[in-house]
Amino acid sequence: MVTVAAPLGERSASFGGLWRWGRPAGIAALILILCFLSLYPMVMLLYGSLHSTPPGIAGEFNLNGYISIATTENLVVLANTVGISLVKTVLALALAVLLAWIVARTDTPGRGVLEVLITLPFFIPPILTATAWAMLGNAQVGTINLAWRWLSDSDTTLVDVYSYGGVIWHMMQYSTPFIFLFVVDAFRAMDPALEESSRMSGATRWQTFWRVTLALMLPVTTSAFILSFIRGIESFESAVFFGVPVGIEVITTTIYNSITQRAQPDYQSATALSFAALALMFLLLVLQSRLLRGRTFTTVTGKGYSPNIMRLGRLRWVTFGICILFFALTVALPIGQLLLSSFFKFFGFYQADMLTLDHYRSVWENSSFWRAFGNTMLLGVAGATATMTLGGIVAYVTTRTRWRGRRLIDLLAWLPWMMPGMVLGIGFLWGFAILPHGIPIYGTLWALLLAYIALGTPVAVRVTSAAYQQIANDIEECSRVHGAGWWQTLGRILIALAWPAFAVGWVLIFFGIMRELSASILLYAPGTEVLSVVMLKMWVSGKPEEVSVIGLVMLVLVLLFRWVQLKFIKKRISTL
Amino acid sequence: MLRRSVLGLLASTPLADVAWAQDDWAKTVEAAKKEGKLVIYTASIGSVFHKAVIKSFEQKYGIGVEMLEARASEVRERVRVEQSAGRFLGDIHHNGSTTTWLMNRDGNFQPHGPVPNIKNIVPPYEADDIRIPCEVISYSLMVNRNLVKPGDEPKSWKDILDPKWSGKILSDDYRALGGGAVFFVVMYDTFGKEFHEKLAAQKPIFSRDLANSERRVARGEYPLYLPFSLQNFNNLKGLPIKPIVPAEGRPYVRFDLTMLKNAPHPNAARVFMNHYLEPESQLVFANAGYAPVVKGVVEKTLEEIRVLLATKAMGTTTPEKQDAMLELAKQIYK
Repeated sequence: MVTVAAPLGERSASFGGLWRWGRPAGIAALILILCFLSLYPMVMLLYGSLHSTPPGIAGEFNLNGYISIATTENLVVLANTVGISLVKTVLALALAVLLAWIVARTDTPGRGVLEVLITLPFFIPPILTATAWAMLGNAQVGTINLAWRWLSDSDTTLVDVYSYGGVIWHMMQYSTPFIFLFVVDAFRAMDPALEESSRMSGATRWQTFWRVTLALMLPVTTSAFILSFIRGIESFESAVFFGVPVGIEVITTTIYNSITQRAQPDYQSATALSFAALALMFLLLVLQSRLLRGRTFTTVTGKGYSPNIMRLGRLRWVTFGICILFFALTVALPIGQLLLSSFFKFFGFYQADMLTLDHYRSVWENSSFWRAFGNTMLLGVAGATATMTLGGIVAYVTTRTRWRGRRLIDLLAWLPWMMPGMVLGIGFLWGFAILPHGIPIYGTLWALLLAYIALGTPVAVRVTSAAYQQIANDIEECSRVHGAGWWQTLGRILIALAWPAFAVGWVLIFFGIMRELSASILLYAPGTEVLSVVMLKMWVSGKPEEVSVIGLVMLVLVLLFRWVQLKFIKKRISTL
Repeated sequence: MLRRSVLGLLASTPLADVAWAQDDWAKTVEAAKKEGKLVIYTASIGSVFHKAVIKSFEQKYGIGVEMLEARASEVRERVRVEQSAGRFLGDIHHNGSTTTWLMNRDGNFQPHGPVPNIKNIVPPYEADDIRIPCEVISYSLMVNRNLVKPGDEPKSWKDILDPKWSGKILSDDYRALGGGAVFFVVMYDTFGKEFHEKLAAQKPIFSRDLANSERRVARGEYPLYLPFSLQNFNNLKGLPIKPIVPAEGRPYVRFDLTMLKNAPHPNAARVFMNHYLEPESQLVFANAGYAPVVKGVVEKTLEEIRVLLATKAMGTTTPEKQDAMLELAKQIYK
């Protein structure tokens, strides 16, 4: 049993000649797939940033794009972007960790239901929550301010969403459930023996929480932090709704201006600015890698354990109150507004004579909606499954082997996350259009599917690698020692133990696909419309109420998916 | 080039029109039916009026229509990328005149050939061998009826410079392409830079979410919105808003139809262009608030829309000075 002592990757070599040849071939295939999905569009964009004209037009190579972005104005924009994203990520992370701990590790009442409810805001199209908050929190006639003035008998304004605070708050509604989804299963999959040892060694409950629980969560929390921070830098909707009207510009609004708000779209500046942002994000990744280097975070070992919960006594009503408050502010208020509005002729005009079911009827009878719904479901299921498969393999290679080329694979899988969606969409458009005409990608559902896989892979990799990092090598070794093959071990040990994370990743990616617009609008063709494109059409043509109806349909789907998923997780955990 | 000139000449001479009407048009329609399909790339997103005109075209000729709808710059980039990759998928391009002008300069179109109804187009709109004006977006002011009494309504564009409107104007952004930029150019051309300096002192609130902005004014968040696209009036019926075309007239933006280079269904495209200029089709747009481009349509428009459309077309933007104007707007409205 020499193989047991050898590193995992080396050990795998003893599976015979087929494997010896299969591994490099597999690695090469993986690199090729990732190159096509992420490097190829990025190369197109790099060309765009270094060339005076976009691909297909005669021009010259120069650095004008990069020179043009080196202005004081852009420095302010950069500071705004980083500042806003940092503040919202820190706040969202703190809140998400607290909520995840409450839901996964305490005896707070109703936490099963709370877990589903807390995540709802993530799945609502940002354009809808922005509209809802614009009505709730505008300084002049916002519902919150009107209520405040009535209660306090004053003329003061309590909240104004058109501000830095408004931008951050709106972004937090997406970041908090996103990070929550990331960390909640990690909390659940932790062997409480480690915490018990801490308590037995004299540490208080809070000392244990800070020094053991949170420390063990470092890979997953830093991953979530980095993902969320980067996403914050690339965020567009919150800034364009609540920032731009009061002069708050961020990188994405500047890029948007360069592409769509000039008579002649300036792709060179837009792509150059995107690459500058990418360099910044790359530094963050290096930082995360250094932070985690040489440390182990295994919490799921070969020893049996049962994830138990902390008895909070009367404090459990405080934690319950925190969850309810979060739910009320981020879910009940905006979704209540959406639900209410969907039954009135106009969003925000709640008069009896305007009550109607026309919006539901109109969506029901809209053939474009149903065609787009079918396409989106197909792309969502196929895309999320393919992405999680790819992400699971990438995560395995990068976290559990020492194979040569794994760092390159990790980097390739990350690239799409570091490029703002609206720019990456252009990279896909350029890349797919110039493929030989015999390759049926451009103008078909394949173009959308491949773009979605590329966009979702970073999330899939982070979710699964965080889960893999919690699983001790000894379980895998034990499986091998008892004669299981590589595939058997992968399926029956790693995937079996990490599958709650797989399920979360699948849902995240599925709904990411449902919401994705930037690449979709550039890649769809007549007949391959997706839901986000149809929603944009409705929005632009002045039908926010119908968009609300679709938003609510999506929410029902979320509730259904999450219910099924949690049912399975519960069943799974009870059999561990 | 020769072909283009000849076709252009053919399209513009009355003699050719007559000959055409008698003979070749029937052949074109026949050929269009054989092509059986038409692909339209449009920057008019989600418009039910276009769908109505397309439906009547499908019913009349039995030619199926597929539409690709995206924002102006996205449509332009798709066409550019497809054509440079040798993919010729679209037949008709429907976009604002500025983007169309730029794309024409880039060689994305081919001459449309003879289209009989071109002769019905009225000034100031004019077709050439590439571009056919098809409908016009007109811009006005919009007030909240609950907040602005009839006596206080602006009568002239200059009235919005009155200090009483300070901090009370919600507006599309003049520093970005769209209705705001059109408004900026037309006011600059009409009243000069001073108008904008005074308007900047009024501290207008900019928002690019047009559909939501109109509703914000309807809800009473602001009493005044500009520039309001008249074709949105129908969508807002029942809300306490009122469009006002000031005495000087309405800024406008023309939309053009063009035939994409190497269009796979050129005859169907030509028949569609002709159908689009039929009075019945133009009336659909006129009743929706778009100014029609052919004669004899405004008169038949619904009364409440007619009073708005029967006003002076004040001016529009030109592609040549667009970027300079956007830059000037950035300097004035910081």
